[in-house]
Amino acid sequence: MANFGGKSYGQRPNKTILSRTLILMIVCGVVAFSVLGGRLCKLMIADHDYYEQRAVEQQTRATTVKANRGTIYDTDGNVLAMSATAYTVFISPYEILKYSSDPDSKYGDDPELIAQGLSDILGVEYDSIMEMMEDTESWYKTVATKIDTDIADQVREFKSEHNIVGIHIETDSKRYYPYGDLASHVIGFVGTDNYGLEGLEAQYNEYLEGTDGSVVRLTTNEGVEMLFENYENYNPATDGSNLKTTIDVTIQSIAEKYLQEAVAQNDILNGGCCIIMDVNTGEILAMANANGYDLNSPWTLSEEAQAEIDAIEDEEERSEALYTAQLAQWRNMAISDTYEPGSVFKIITMAMGLDSGTVSEDSSFYCSGSMDVLGRGGIPLNCWRHAGHGSQNLREAAMHSCNVAFVNIGLQVGADTFYDYVEAFGLWDKTGVDLAGETSTRGLWWTDEVFKNPQNLSQLAAASFGQTFNVTPIQMITAVAAAVNGGYLMEPYLVSEITDASGEVVYSKEPTVVRQVISEETSALVADILGSVVNDEGGTGSNAAVAGYSIGGKTGTTTKTTLEAQGITEYMVSFCGVAPTEDPEIAVLLVLDNPSGEAETYVSGGAMAAPYVGKIMSEVLPYVGVDPVYDEDEQALLDVSVPRVVNSDIASARSELEALGLNVRVEGDGDTVTSQLPGAGVEVAPGSTVIIYAGEEASEESVSVPNLYGMTMSQAQQALESRGLFMRTSGAQATSSSIVVSQQSVAYGEEVPYGTVIEVTMIDSSNLGNY
Amino acid sequence: MIRYDGGSRGREVEEHVYDREELTREAQSRTATRRGPMDLPFFFLTMIILTVGVIMVLSASFARAYYQSDDPTRYFTRQLLFAVSGTALMLLASRFPVYIYRRFSMPLLAASIFLLILVPIIGAEDNGATRWINLGFTTFQPSEITKLAVILAFASMICVYKDKMKTFKYGVLPFAIILVVVVGLLILEPHLSASVIIIAIGAIMMFAGGTRWQYFAIGGGVVAVLGVLLVTQMGYASSRISTWLDPFSDPQGDGFQIIQSLYAVGSGGLLGLGLGQGRQKYLYLPEEHNDFIFAVVCEELGLIGALLILLLFALLIVRGYWLALHARDRFGALVITGITSLLAIQVFLNVAVVTNLVPCTGISLPFFSYGGTALWIQLVEMGIVLSISRDIPLKRRKKDEGK
Repeated sequence: MANFGGKSYGQRPNKTILSRTLILMIVCGVVAFSVLGGRLCKLMIADHDYYEQRAVEQQTRATTVKANRGTIYDTDGNVLAMSATAYTVFISPYEILKYSSDPDSKYGDDPELIAQGLSDILGVEYDSIMEMMEDTESWYKTVATKIDTDIADQVREFKSEHNIVGIHIETDSKRYYPYGDLASHVIGFVGTDNYGLEGLEAQYNEYLEGTDGSVVRLTTNEGVEMLFENYENYNPATDGSNLKTTIDVTIQSIAEKYLQEAVAQNDILNGGCCIIMDVNTGEILAMANANGYDLNSPWTLSEEAQAEIDAIEDEEERSEALYTAQLAQWRNMAISDTYEPGSVFKIITMAMGLDSGTVSEDSSFYCSGSMDVLGRGGIPLNCWRHAGHGSQNLREAAMHSCNVAFVNIGLQVGADTFYDYVEAFGLWDKTGVDLAGETSTRGLWWTDEVFKNPQNLSQLAAASFGQTFNVTPIQMITAVAAAVNGGYLMEPYLVSEITDASGEVVYSKEPTVVRQVISEETSALVADILGSVVNDEGGTGSNAAVAGYSIGGKTGTTTKTTLEAQGITEYMVSFCGVAPTEDPEIAVLLVLDNPSGEAETYVSGGAMAAPYVGKIMSEVLPYVGVDPVYDEDEQALLDVSVPRVVNSDIASARSELEALGLNVRVEGDGDTVTSQLPGAGVEVAPGSTVIIYAGEEASEESVSVPNLYGMTMSQAQQALESRGLFMRTSGAQATSSSIVVSQQSVAYGEEVPYGTVIEVTMIDSSNLGNY
Repeated sequence: MIRYDGGSRGREVEEHVYDREELTREAQSRTATRRGPMDLPFFFLTMIILTVGVIMVLSASFARAYYQSDDPTRYFTRQLLFAVSGTALMLLASRFPVYIYRRFSMPLLAASIFLLILVPIIGAEDNGATRWINLGFTTFQPSEITKLAVILAFASMICVYKDKMKTFKYGVLPFAIILVVVVGLLILEPHLSASVIIIAIGAIMMFAGGTRWQYFAIGGGVVAVLGVLLVTQMGYASSRISTWLDPFSDPQGDGFQIIQSLYAVGSGGLLGLGLGQGRQKYLYLPEEHNDFIFAVVCEELGLIGALLILLLFALLIVRGYWLALHARDRFGALVITGITSLLAIQVFLNVAVVTNLVPCTGISLPFFSYGGTALWIQLVEMGIVLSISRDIPLKRRKKDEGK
């Protein structure tokens, strides 16, 4: 019988108990702890780095700090492209599930609530958000990108109002193009990842994009920042550098305005381009394509183009067509497309003839209307004017754009020298303009073997007046600039300076002379002769003339050789102008691709392109600080600004108006002027009859606009004034009978208020033809 | 015949024939005021460890508490309350004369077994195991009380069997029967870690009590065979073995907990990240204020801090054995040995699990791991040790310390 309650109470521990307790003391108190200590030393000292690295890897989360993309400025500091903060909203289906399925959750995550809320704020479909939530393994489902700050704020408010965990907002940036479609082909645009895809955005992407930074933060296993932790590894983003371009928004606007007008008025089917260049530096002041697109939505096609694509039934074909149409929309004709320059190239032929000493200003050329060329198999080469130009010196030949004369120059220069100059003028190689997508034209010329064949001069002959080879518009204007700027082939450029985010200049472009092609004297003479082409009586470029300015230039009209072989006749018309001719500063090249011939204008560079180059010059030259100098004849033809004569007495009003070269008609029999037409400040052609009302009110009836096409200036003025309308003129400024109206600002038959000023464009009809 | 009835023990004591010396000693021990003071080194070591433990609960738990409830001190406040009340219980336990414990040893064991039987019936299930009984204001594991009950009961039995301990009939059989019953009930829950601890503590009691070496060899063999059977039969145990051998084979699944623990321990380095500065507790490390609190200790206090805490435990344990060696009577010596060994086993196994020295199993770290009733029981155990220490004559203690 044992009594465990205490029978043996008080017995001293025996020796066994004591010795075994001692053993336990050693094992449990010393050995065990030594083992643990050793283990801890191994883990915490020997393996420390390994575990620490692993631990930090899982405990930290790096967030990208996006670098702001640099700004693109025009030459005056106007912003062409800029970045603004935008946001990406995404949801974490994993977290939403986790918190919505936990009844004790203090968070308000609820799939329907979230989908409804985000759908309301972001305009994303409710169902598509619900669909995203089905992927409950995912932590990241993008709901909307590139949203603006105010929308992001609404999302934040919604998130905090309902205490939601599973909605997240990330900072991103968005590219804005304040001028919309202006200079779209030059500026280009970026993709959704802010990587430059076209234009300067692509060319200078590495400067613009900057370097993203990162913030490494300690986060909990659920991705939330740890409490009380200020460990933060901040690697700041370096914002992109800013581009200062040579583009001037004013000049670019002028170029685009008149390019659009030229395309519309002349019914040009394939668009066109216009380049304005500072001939002395190679700076491109404007580069325009007729089919500008809004850079803020570069993938959106024009309505017509979209309608055409929508009409395609087959889905695959449709998406292919869409892609093709987008590429076409983005294509910068000025640098990527080639064309046969036609007679504009005669500037180059003339320059090489003069520079090589083959011809001089006094050389004489006889044109009978056609000539025989070795290798044409007896088929005569016709001048555009079949009647011939007769005997002419070099200046006259240029003015007439005489093919026969220029073929003769080419033949005299010889194929070898001709090609040397072509290459020297940069018509084979890329100009080096700092824009992605420039085409080289070396392969678009005859091979040496063919071109330099002494038994067949037909290629040389055709090349002499700019046909059967191709150049890019940028090559052409750069070559013309070299021909008139003293002979220096410049490297054209668009970006003059790049400054980094801290304002330091990291790149600066100085005007670069590629080579001197012709002598300064030759160049001055070429410029002077080009002035004659525009300004002298009988010059083919007269439509580009601007009163007060010495504009020089050359017309170009060609049919496309490759298409002609297939029996299709498509024209390419162009004009390249330079001004002022005594010391050229700017060059303007306007190329129009495929006029339909349906417009009333004669299909030629002189009729279709020259007037618009003239208009561009008339606005750009004053803007760049070239002041007009009018001679007497020009003075007499200048539009007159009508002064305010209301409230003065009839007699003094009449004398004031007549002193300005205006005629006066009085209506009514009062003593003072009660009303006037046109109103004060309106510009009208000299000799217009101003109506002053004495006691009567101006008529408010509307009148129908007459058809003025083909009328001389005085006929047009008469026709308008007989209906109570007024006239302003632009284009060729002369009273001669060959200067006729080619266009009117208000179409024939339209109703306009009594007293409206109709602007007419005058054209020299004396020398219409393919020149 | 063994009598488990404690109710009549009081009277039996009266009937017992004591020699003079014993009588005096018992009289001394009955009158609390006349007993000696408790052992201050043991007391202060306990209090230091308890204080550090409660602070570590705050550090380890505030992150999870914050994310769960916005009250970062939720666990800490509760643990602090239990620590304070537990200290009171410890002091109370240290006032009871030792014979009280001896008297109630067998009834306590009976009650424990009763509770273990109750567990599957009224217990609360958690993670596929039923180990808890809900008391309303808190829950507790009957296995915790069972550990103490086994220590007290075995000590009593050894005192009774005395020299017969060397025989199989007395030295092995009664103990083995109790262990089989208790462990059998625990395995039903199932509760592997408590089974292991109770087998270990039972074995240690028998060892200290004088059971012969060869029986341990046989018993060890039996346990090993049973262990192998268990591991192969119980799916969750065998997967623990493979996870133990290569935690990185399933880093997101079974290996997750131990990997997170190793990250915490390893990233501590020599000096640690600083108190409160740990990162693994931010929802990476599971059970961070509970079974794996020592990983947070390592991460935050570094090797130096972790070794210092282990040193405190070692000092407490060594002091415990020292008190056992100097106890006035056999029962007291055996109880202290049992309680101290229990503490040592728990500390060793907990730290070994946290450092992946042994397969992962849920063993809490005494005085550190969050858990109210477990802390109470641990503190009462310390109180029992302190109570026994009061019977050691001061003179003798001083003399020994003077050596």
